[in-house]
Amino acid sequence: MLQAYWYMTKMRLLTSLAYRFEVFASVGTNLILMLASVFLWKAAYGGGTQQINALSLQDLTTYTVLSIMLASVFVCGVQDTIYYKIREGQIVTDFYRPIPLLACYLADDLGGMLSAMINKVIPLFIFAALFFGIPWPASISGFLLFIPSCLLSYAILWLLSALIGLIAFWVMELGNMGMVKDSIVRVLSGSIVPLWFFPESVQTLSKFLPFMYTYQTPLGIYIGNIGLQDALAAMGVQFIWIALLFILLAVCWKRTKSKTLIQGG
Amino acid sequence: MDAVIEVNDLVKEYIVTKKESGLRGALKGLLFPEKKTVRGVDGITFSIAQGEIVGYIGPNGAGKSTTIKMLTGILHPTSGSIKVCGISPQADRKSVVRKLGVVFGQRTQLYWDLRLGESFELLRRIYQIDKETYEDNLSILTDVLKLHEFIHTPVRQLSLGQRMRGDIAAAMLHSPSILFLDEPTIGLDADAKHAIRLFIKEINQKRGVTVILTTHDLDDVEQLCSRLVVVNHGKVVEDGPMASLIHKLAPHRLLVVELQHPFSDLSHPLAEIIKQDGLKIWYQFEKDRISAAQLISELSQKLPIQDLSVKEPNIEDAIREVYKAT
Amino acid sequence: MGSSIRHYFSVAACFARLAIQRQLEYPLFLFSWLLMIPIQYFSGIWMLKIIVDRFQPLNGWDFPELTFLYGLGLISHGIFVVFFINTWQIDRMVIEGAFDRLLLRPMNVFFQLIASYINFIGLIDCIPGIIIFIYGCQLVGFEWTFLNIIKLLLVLLGGVMIRAALFISLGTIAFWTKRNASMVGFTLAMLERGTMYPISIYPYAIQVLFTFILPIGFISFYPAAEFLNKSSEAFQLPLSFALATPVIGFACFFLSQWIFRFGMKSYESAGS
Repeated sequence: MLQAYWYMTKMRLLTSLAYRFEVFASVGTNLILMLASVFLWKAAYGGGTQQINALSLQDLTTYTVLSIMLASVFVCGVQDTIYYKIREGQIVTDFYRPIPLLACYLADDLGGMLSAMINKVIPLFIFAALFFGIPWPASISGFLLFIPSCLLSYAILWLLSALIGLIAFWVMELGNMGMVKDSIVRVLSGSIVPLWFFPESVQTLSKFLPFMYTYQTPLGIYIGNIGLQDALAAMGVQFIWIALLFILLAVCWKRTKSKTLIQGG
Repeated sequence: MDAVIEVNDLVKEYIVTKKESGLRGALKGLLFPEKKTVRGVDGITFSIAQGEIVGYIGPNGAGKSTTIKMLTGILHPTSGSIKVCGISPQADRKSVVRKLGVVFGQRTQLYWDLRLGESFELLRRIYQIDKETYEDNLSILTDVLKLHEFIHTPVRQLSLGQRMRGDIAAAMLHSPSILFLDEPTIGLDADAKHAIRLFIKEINQKRGVTVILTTHDLDDVEQLCSRLVVVNHGKVVEDGPMASLIHKLAPHRLLVVELQHPFSDLSHPLAEIIKQDGLKIWYQFEKDRISAAQLISELSQKLPIQDLSVKEPNIEDAIREVYKAT
Repeated sequence: MGSSIRHYFSVAACFARLAIQRQLEYPLFLFSWLLMIPIQYFSGIWMLKIIVDRFQPLNGWDFPELTFLYGLGLISHGIFVVFFINTWQIDRMVIEGAFDRLLLRPMNVFFQLIASYINFIGLIDCIPGIIIFIYGCQLVGFEWTFLNIIKLLLVLLGGVMIRAALFISLGTIAFWTKRNASMVGFTLAMLERGTMYPISIYPYAIQVLFTFILPIGFISFYPAAEFLNKSSEAFQLPLSFALATPVIGFACFFLSQWIFRFGMKSYESAGS
């Protein structure tokens, strides 16, 4: 069973590696976003060395560089996969496959993630190190917590994507709602501008939404803006969100599956 | 007769990237892709006169489509020369394509979401067809291809046969003098094939349109073409009148007979038994030495025949068989 | 010549009519775009405001000026998306062999590529652009004189041309590589960062790049700087932008035409 998933992961890894040109272009895109954001922060600090919200320019540079790398690693193809499968009417035949469908999609995305580690993160890291110095973590404990926190972040993002993908089962005509979700996540996850700079009301609201826990939590841990205690608490919240989203996805998935099989797509 | 198409020593080379399997192969391909040159068309020469219907045949990958794409100006040859109505399609594409109608059986030029007639309207503007000619042509095409049944239907709702008729009409609206048909009958039912063959004959006879046809269908060739050009591995291997070539390429027919009960003496002097499976027997015969009708009548006199059928040879297989050596 | 122009116009009009009809076949499909585009762009300007509020003006560009710049860049993006969206599809068309059909028609291939799909959905991109720009004009006290309006229109025209030239040149790469979908993403990212933020925040090398090699700076930055009388900028350019942007736009556009024509020669029709 596990072998079948590994096979899918490997296939995805191989196909992503095969497209040389795509890879270069994608690294280029992320590099541009990275450079632009870092220079924006430089201009915002205006050459001064002051700290704003207890953050130095170096902190924000590290934050931005890591944020871009995370974005290229967090592969959530699932929302597009479900969307296109439904549009092409392929999903029904997929339901009859002997292994759980969502697990297949996850295996596929994990393959994408592994290949992104090799062909996107490594070059981006090298470029970032050349331009701005190596983005060191604030502390070893910060780094050790950063890794598991990233995995939890990915789980949240992936579950969100799968849920959004399911919308297409019910309202096919609305187009790909995944794009709408992505544009909300970009802002409210703090992936571009950390939420610490946002107005108080937005910050309060964000505490009750899952988005903040996808980018800002691991990145805050990495640059040391989130202390040890707060980090553990934040990871607890990540767990809660994963549990909630997982249950929600399981329920929705079951309902859509029975609906689809009854109607025959 | 004047040659409308002249092709001289035409060559087309491709560069293909070799992809290796496995993780190591993928990594290698990422860093050092391996390339090699392949000759898709390898020195083709022929000429076609006004008013001919030429079957351009050969197995898959023989270079048929590549040649047609060079003749119509889509592709640039690596070397060699092409003249269509005396003009090089590469040098003056726009003048050449005005004279051409091209139908790709596997790909439509019609707009999927729009009604058939709307695609025609667009073509009328693109080819600057004046109203009178357009209406004349459309009414003739409508008659022969029975377009009136579906001209106001969105293309996505058409059957394959209807879509193909629509595509052929679209290619003929601007009264081209040369018509290229790339597998026009692929996947169609007998009715639709019949309609399309009738149409091709008619435009050839009444308007003198030169037709170049690639096909996998032996019936198409036999019923339509006066001449065959056979290609294999990018080279012309035969070029001549249809009848003699068909005989050379595919002299045999198969007669499949099913008996009511076992019978001992199955032989016939002019037919060879090539296969037997229970009560089913396959006879191979040369149609020049004995006609199918005669063979059937002779066999039925002595054999207790339950059922029978005559099979045409597959032209692709025949070509591959005959030119295995080259 | 006159009849040829009339010919192209009549075909363009017919293409446009068919494009509207095709897009109206699935009207609900627009819903997700209608949500996403405003979220994306309004949040973009909102985040700029947050940064400027918490920190300081970016290299002397305060929030009203940034809004003006951002809006100007966004409008030209919106117009581009309406008229030139097919330049993003060149790779798909190469893979599917779609240029075959264009080559079989007695018209300019590039014209057919562009004219065959006027993307009315792209007007959605223009709406946030216009709103943000007008808001920016209010904030900076832009004077709507006749001369300024003419200048503005020329700048927009030139800006759209520069964008089109970039995407055409990049799309041409697909004739060799077969794939360049992520090149589109790359260029979009570059254009967004180069036209909606002042390029003076970037290092000298990038400013040179965006001025002389990929003249993105002329789409919105230099024009905005002149409209706003911001003289302390990186390069003092001799020509007034109102002349420079459209001139550069047309020059780039013709250059890209030449590149496209060159690329078409390497077109290998796919499929059987």
